[in-house]
Amino acid sequence: MSQEVTVPDVMIDLIKVSKVYPPDVQALTDISLTVARGEMMFLTGMSGAGKSTLLRLVSRIERADKGMVEVAGFDVAKLPQRDIHLLRRKIGMAYQDFKLLPDRTVADNIALALEVVYQPRPFIEERIRELLDRLDLARKYATPAEELSRGEQQRVSIARALANSPEIILADEPSGNLDAITTGKVMDLFHQHHRQGATIVIATHDRSLYQEGGHRVIELRFGRLYRPRTEVPETAESIEPPEPVPAEEV
Amino acid sequence: MMPFLTVVLRHTLRNMRFTWKSQVMTLFTVGLSVLIFSFFYLIYCNALNLSEDLSDDLRLIVYLDDEPAEALKAEYEHKILKFDQVERIDFVSRGQAYQRFEKQLGADSDVLAGVPEDFLPPSIEVYPVRSLDSLSRIKRFSDYLLTLPGVLKVQYGKEWIERFYSFIQLMRVVILLSGFLLIMTTTFMVAHTIRLTLFARQEELELLRLVGATASYIRMPFLVEGALQGLLGASLGLAALFVLFQWIRLQFAGPAALTQAQFTFFSWPVVCGIVTIATLLCAIGSFSTTRKITQL
Repeated sequence: MSQEVTVPDVMIDLIKVSKVYPPDVQALTDISLTVARGEMMFLTGMSGAGKSTLLRLVSRIERADKGMVEVAGFDVAKLPQRDIHLLRRKIGMAYQDFKLLPDRTVADNIALALEVVYQPRPFIEERIRELLDRLDLARKYATPAEELSRGEQQRVSIARALANSPEIILADEPSGNLDAITTGKVMDLFHQHHRQGATIVIATHDRSLYQEGGHRVIELRFGRLYRPRTEVPETAESIEPPEPVPAEEV
Repeated sequence: MMPFLTVVLRHTLRNMRFTWKSQVMTLFTVGLSVLIFSFFYLIYCNALNLSEDLSDDLRLIVYLDDEPAEALKAEYEHKILKFDQVERIDFVSRGQAYQRFEKQLGADSDVLAGVPEDFLPPSIEVYPVRSLDSLSRIKRFSDYLLTLPGVLKVQYGKEWIERFYSFIQLMRVVILLSGFLLIMTTTFMVAHTIRLTLFARQEELELLRLVGATASYIRMPFLVEGALQGLLGASLGLAALFVLFQWIRLQFAGPAALTQAQFTFFSWPVVCGIVTIATLLCAIGSFSTTRKITQL
């Protein structure tokens, strides 16, 4: 008798999630957010608004203090530590601080993500070359990560996040160190994966990334979610913490 | 399975390359511990062999005041053979004792001329089972034999047996201590080396967890590394012992006392046993250290 496997339509579901960093820094407060399977979504907000924290909760680098986080059908809080790889293999995350191994080559850094799922060596080589080619890093294949510029390191981090063609892609400020042309190439890669069915959440304060895409944009302010805006605040001084949006409206 | 093994081996070799200085130190320490332990164990084994050879001639002679009647013989037999440590007993009558003595004197047997044939006391020869355990109990057993009716005296190589038994006891203590040393060094040294590697690669291990590596994916190379250290260290230690053993044999090839005794090296099953135990101990040391990885 075959068992029917249900694929959730909701890929990421946060219900009244709060996170406090010791001693009493309220990073997120009562966040409720649903991201559908195959959706591409932008998370905006000033530095310190809680964008990175939210992404870290989704990939369970951090645990929520309150509320429920469900990702790809996993209740993240209840997922035992020994099964954490099941969640992480569904997620490709490009970190703001890149998380590269400085003494390893670019290829080795990207290969890590492919080796842990036991991809055959020829496939790993081919995939790395393909990604580096797309990101204008083909010449850096054997260069140690510590010898790369920040922009190059950022692209390697993105390449590693995309290497396994994961179901969920989380990108934390992916254009932070990139020029407009390279940013375009990175976004092309994201769009390609999105077309192939990946759910993508990009945390950014770079308006150019989401201005013309027609994708959902969610704004975080002081750890709370606000209505999608057409106008993005220009300066930090202009921001006053207004009333938060009720959970069911986001 | 193959990709898993390939990845594990690749990571193991990489770990060992990164911390090769600690690896060499650990190998040396494990090898030395195995050498010390197996050196004493080899002496102990050879001493046991020696005790078996020597105890071929070991017997207790129970001198009786008079020739025992059949009923008393049966009682002696019953009371002595009830002990597991006794292999067999032989009754020697006055006449048999005289004949043996005469035979021993050989050409000088004429000194017995005029001596009555029953001048020697009858006796019981008790042959203990040839084992170290029986040696250790021989004194108590001889005390027991003295309590039997009609027994005048019990004779055996008391002094020699007691010295030999003390030596064996000492060897047992030394082996226990060196075994303890072996356990401590293998598990703790290996655990320490693995901890150094873990510390040096903390960033990478965290990253591996973030990209979806299982705990066993991360842990297995360290376990293999520990086991390899045990395997190589024990092999080196035993190889060094073998060289030492051959050297000693060559050095003492002359003295008759040593050539009479058959000194042997460990048999292959013992060698494999020592190597396996050292490998397991090192793997355990590694296992205990890498438990933290699952918390990453």
